[in-house]
Amino acid sequence: MDSQFLVSLVLILATFGLYIGIAVYNMARQTSDFYVAGRNVPAVFNGMAIGADWMSAASFIGMAGTVMLLGYDGLAYIMGWTGGYLLLTFLLAPQLRKSGRYTVPEFIGDRYSSSTARLIAAVATIIISFTYSIGQLSGSGVVIGRLLEVPTAVGTIIGVVLIAFYSALGGMKGITWTQVAQYLVLIIAYLIPVIFMSLQLTSNPIPWLSYGQIIGELQQLDQQLGVSEYVVPFTEATKWQFLALMFTLMAGTAGLPHVIVRFYTVSTMKAARWSGAWALLFIGLLYLSAPAYAAFSRFILMTQVAGSSIADLPAWTTSWVNTGSLSVADTNGDGILQWEEIVISNDIVVMATPEIANLGVFVVGLMAAGAMAAALSTAGGLMIAISAALSQDIYYRSINPKATESQRLLVGRSSIIIATVAAGIVALNPPGAITQIVAWAFALASGTFFPALILGVWWRRANGPGVIAGMLVGLTVTLTYIFAAKFGGFTILGIIDTGAGVFGATAAILTIIIVSLATKPPSKETQEEVLDLRYPEGMTYKDGEVWRTDPVETKRPEH
Amino acid sequence: MRKIDKKQADAYFRTRTILVTIYLLIGFSASFGVVMFAEELSGFSVNGMPFHYFMGAQGAVLTFIILLFVNAIINDRIDKKFGLDQDLEDKK
Repeated sequence: MDSQFLVSLVLILATFGLYIGIAVYNMARQTSDFYVAGRNVPAVFNGMAIGADWMSAASFIGMAGTVMLLGYDGLAYIMGWTGGYLLLTFLLAPQLRKSGRYTVPEFIGDRYSSSTARLIAAVATIIISFTYSIGQLSGSGVVIGRLLEVPTAVGTIIGVVLIAFYSALGGMKGITWTQVAQYLVLIIAYLIPVIFMSLQLTSNPIPWLSYGQIIGELQQLDQQLGVSEYVVPFTEATKWQFLALMFTLMAGTAGLPHVIVRFYTVSTMKAARWSGAWALLFIGLLYLSAPAYAAFSRFILMTQVAGSSIADLPAWTTSWVNTGSLSVADTNGDGILQWEEIVISNDIVVMATPEIANLGVFVVGLMAAGAMAAALSTAGGLMIAISAALSQDIYYRSINPKATESQRLLVGRSSIIIATVAAGIVALNPPGAITQIVAWAFALASGTFFPALILGVWWRRANGPGVIAGMLVGLTVTLTYIFAAKFGGFTILGIIDTGAGVFGATAAILTIIIVSLATKPPSKETQEEVLDLRYPEGMTYKDGEVWRTDPVETKRPEH
Repeated sequence: MRKIDKKQADAYFRTRTILVTIYLLIGFSASFGVVMFAEELSGFSVNGMPFHYFMGAQGAVLTFIILLFVNAIINDRIDKKFGLDQDLEDKK
């Protein structure tokens, strides 16, 4: 046992103790508390919780590595995952908040007056959130496994136990405040190494201003080596793939049930707008730092690791080579390691760089704690979305409408445990790379929920048959394109499986419009309810007239 | 509940819709627009990087953040103008 192991373990245990302590302290008492935290979370903290919910293992561990390896083409992830908040905050969040529904399937079911639509939405929520959480659990397995020097599978099981414990115990209220703590841990863990590297390489402590200089030097290094230049666009895929991927990530963000449900935790439409703005600021802090992280890592690898003698490589290389994610073979046999001879997996760049840059045991341990915060906080939000879909939308609304509050709470809690364990079992032997699975979840969300919600809020003529057909077509087209592009080599304009959402969303929107126009318009009450969403809280639309309502009537009663 | 002029309520909706359309146009130009013309926009540098790279790594994200805060602030003012200040109502 070396000092690195002890420091990392202490940091992880201390931060976990903090999260669990907060969850236990806030033990949920009622269902309204359990799902939406009594709707009294201040906008700034709700923004932080959305940030922690949002930034998953893929953002924390994978993104900087992706930007480093893909160069400009990797920036589609930066713009796509932040731009989604524009669609969400401008086009959906305030209206969904005014509708006063608890979950996305509940909104879809009521808006389209169709229990079939609600069931499809509930099943889609479960599929999307489940797919997404497999990636989180296997990510946490990699970190725990590597750190505790146990097999990845054992690490995954430890992650499953932790997430099931505090999700089921604390509910969303526990998670909201837990996630505020997790955000702080993960952002500090991410920023410290970037700031240190910035100081080491440029003597400037502000990485966002200093890495432009490094990018200039990288361009020169690339030219000397004759490799494809870091900043040159569309070297890895076509321009259309870049645009399609960016669209898929944006629309998927606006359609992810576990992110949308966050906007019910605020008391007013005003708070929904401010929560969205704060959330993007907190998320942006990490997303603006990832390209800096990438540039610094690439520069250190090119100048300090490449060119050294193969016989005397630093100690960190051995442990990462053993994981199979790094290869430093001296293929031309000249005894010197060249840049072209380093093959690094994008998933280890963030975790390995503090070691490469020699930042010390504390920073390396902090990175591990931050990665765990990212993986577990997102998994927690996903489990709440699955649990709400199962207990509210499927059990209470379709199976047992007479269920008491304690019965529903029991179903909610047991579904969290079952879903976590099931996702954990799949994560023991994941069906693909983490980033790939996450991108599929986004494509599915943009092919189903994004069209159903956008048209549901903005077009009163959209009806039940339209949305049922639309969601099914969107799901089918997205899934078919993912499989055809991934396994059949079929592509349109060079768009691969990760950009599939653009086709799913287009097909679903067209289907909803065509089928809705071909069938009966929705009832007068439904159309009035959609018109009512145009107006702010405090104004109610009824029978062609607008009424000013009292704030007491405006605030939604707790169920 | 008291009835108010529907024209006033529709004026609120129209103002909001126009503003949201403007915000989205700005946001999409900063992201999709710059990507469409990435090669053409790489000739000059901002913050030490070619412009297209700067927009992808920093410019677009900063634009999005600013747009969301501008929206929150302006919308609060519009609410006040239409007498819909939710904080004031809480205190009543």
